[in-house]
Amino acid sequence: MLQPDLLQLMAMGGSQTRNGDEEEGFREAAEQQEEGNPFTFNPQLLRLHRDHELFEDGDVFRHMYLQDLFMSEAEDDISPLPPDLFLSVSEFGCHISGCRAVFSTLDEYEHHYNSLHRHVCCSCRRSLPSARLLDIHIQEWHDSLFTILAQKQDMYLCLVEGCGQKFRTSQQRKDHLIRLHKYPPDFRFDKNRKEKGTREASREQRTNTTMEAADDVCRSEGVCEVMCSVESNQLEQEESMETHASSEEAAQFEDFSASAQTPETNTEQLKPKYSYRFVVPKTVCFGHGSVRGFRGQRGRRK
Amino acid sequence: MWRLNKVRHKAGGHANSLEELRTKRREKERALRQARRDRQLVSKRLLRNEDEEQDTMEVTPGEQDVVTLFQKLHHGGTEKEAFLRPLSKALRNPSAQLTFIKLENSMHLLVGLLTGSDARCRLQAVRCLHELSHSTHTSVASACLPATPYLLTYLSGQSTKFTELCLYTLGNICPDSETVKERLLAQGIIPALAGCMQNHRHNLAVVEAAGFALFQLLQSKDAVQKVIPSVRSGLPSQLLSVLTPDPDFGLAPAIECAWYTGFFHLCTFLINCGALRQCGSLLVSLGGAVADGNTDQGVELLVCPLLRCVGNLLSSCPAETLHSQLGGVDLVAPLCELVVALIHTLPTLARETAWVLNNLTAHSTESCSALLTLNLVPRLLELLPFSQGINTMVLRVLANVAHKKKEFCIQLAELGLLSALTATLKMADQDIVTLSLEVLFMMIVSSPQIAEQFVSQGGLSVLEAIQYNSDGEVRRRATYLLEQHILREK
Repeated sequence: MLQPDLLQLMAMGGSQTRNGDEEEGFREAAEQQEEGNPFTFNPQLLRLHRDHELFEDGDVFRHMYLQDLFMSEAEDDISPLPPDLFLSVSEFGCHISGCRAVFSTLDEYEHHYNSLHRHVCCSCRRSLPSARLLDIHIQEWHDSLFTILAQKQDMYLCLVEGCGQKFRTSQQRKDHLIRLHKYPPDFRFDKNRKEKGTREASREQRTNTTMEAADDVCRSEGVCEVMCSVESNQLEQEESMETHASSEEAAQFEDFSASAQTPETNTEQLKPKYSYRFVVPKTVCFGHGSVRGFRGQRGRRK
Repeated sequence: MWRLNKVRHKAGGHANSLEELRTKRREKERALRQARRDRQLVSKRLLRNEDEEQDTMEVTPGEQDVVTLFQKLHHGGTEKEAFLRPLSKALRNPSAQLTFIKLENSMHLLVGLLTGSDARCRLQAVRCLHELSHSTHTSVASACLPATPYLLTYLSGQSTKFTELCLYTLGNICPDSETVKERLLAQGIIPALAGCMQNHRHNLAVVEAAGFALFQLLQSKDAVQKVIPSVRSGLPSQLLSVLTPDPDFGLAPAIECAWYTGFFHLCTFLINCGALRQCGSLLVSLGGAVADGNTDQGVELLVCPLLRCVGNLLSSCPAETLHSQLGGVDLVAPLCELVVALIHTLPTLARETAWVLNNLTAHSTESCSALLTLNLVPRLLELLPFSQGINTMVLRVLANVAHKKKEFCIQLAELGLLSALTATLKMADQDIVTLSLEVLFMMIVSSPQIAEQFVSQGGLSVLEAIQYNSDGEVRRRATYLLEQHILREK
């Protein structure tokens, strides 16, 4: 809003303690001592050029009066300014880079974030609905030790909390889930991991188009996977990030490579409402100190 | 004569319905906006004869009549006035205007009548010129140039009606071209205006007209050079003296004068005239009227230029003299009330009011303290949901407060700023997010309890999400805040 070329800032706050003892100026001192402090706010007198955008409506108001187009509210029930100048309320927007969802209420924002951007696997960027499922996912998919041990002993844990049974293969677990726990055969969060397909060369373009298609406000009904794509230039060479298919609809883990080539079939099957991507900058990943959020450090480059 | 308390719908004809009027206004407003963006925002005023107000069904004479009338005038005789009256009416027609100026010696004739010995002819001649000045064609305005030295001379005359017409005519032709402006300046328009205002200072209609002419003069890109001569002529103090609205006459003269005072380059001179105190106290009383809902007089039209004036003055006034310049006028509470009152009726003026508040609080600990003690902060917090730059400016004011002292931060936290920040941090507008992070940093650094409070309000997940924001600066700030100040505490 504050156009740099028309804005003359006089940062008089600087190192001058103009108000004497009252202004402690502790901030400047503290800031200078801390290294790498990116915070720069200082109170500033805003001198705005008269052509500044801030003054546009006031000027138009003035000229409407000069040209006898002004009417005060009391007359004729016409308010002084036409509707397009009426007040608007700020939207909320999802922070995750690449996710363009916007919301009109805080609740929608919270629901969106909590449903889709939590419990995300650092390695493959999949979003799981709970911390427990995330743990299981990481273990089964990204832990080479698990793979080794699974050859000799029962490692596949039943997904139902409290059951505790383990199985030699994921198929056996699936059968268990269906028989004992009455799960549907196509339960989304228990898919076999298949071999990954080859990376697509034209990732970027496809991602971009799907991004555009997903501009709607997200209501996140039902849980859908959030697939991450490597979009920013920084991350292009990131070998630990897997490039995924453009199938936002790919809730099916298994047809991983298949879905890479045939997104259309998946669309029909699942019909998720929205899709989005987010990009995690390579320099950022939640560390151990993080209370909640993303887990799984395998393959993450620091 | 137009006065605010009379309903005038002169905008190009007689609108038959409210809807037509609304549409017309909306179109006009759009055109004005675009003109401003093109830096070509110019308006002219037309002074109508009082006894003509009743003539709504009058047939406007066509072009042919102009030629006929001119010929009749040209051929002499004593009935000139009889022809001048219809001529001035005929010249309301744009094509008639163009025809007229192309006629040989037409301007020469008018100037002759303007300066002749017949006073009534003079009046009618100036009316004709006035109609011409209202044209949107720059050629027409330039054609009026031969008359300008006389118009300027007459400004020091005594006839009020005549002077008024001269002033509006000059004001109309001013903005049309740089040549015209330069000519007028060389001919001494500014001293003439100053003298005129002095002589006619008790006639508010003339004062209004002079204020308008001055405003028009200062509309050019290089207005700075033109402003300075006006200072030497003593205009700032004169115009300041007109600022207080007259209860009978209305706001119009004060409005024109207030727009003059809004020019940034006059700040130093105005401050020396005690403008900050005067404009400040006027703003307080008008703001009170607005807050009470007394807006049927069009008082917002005066509030707007006053806000500009005070905002500019505050930005030029050195911090150490600020409070002596204000002379005891307390602006903090009235400005806050004004923002709140305007937010639903005139949100853009609310934004300008917030700008003034920023300039007031930027380097004044007293003002910041007043915000807290007068319990104005909750009302400001209520403004944070509103976009279009309003919440950014209001948050800037709160940031000014937080920056002053740690105790202020603690008080702000008690008043609910932290929970407001957890909302503003989630907004789509990057400006507000960045500013929110800055304020959050100041709050957290000032007290460990604030950090805990923030965490208990669910602030961690917000910051974590922000670490994934597309803007690198925003990410840096969020990470820094998390790592250095929040997570370290644990």
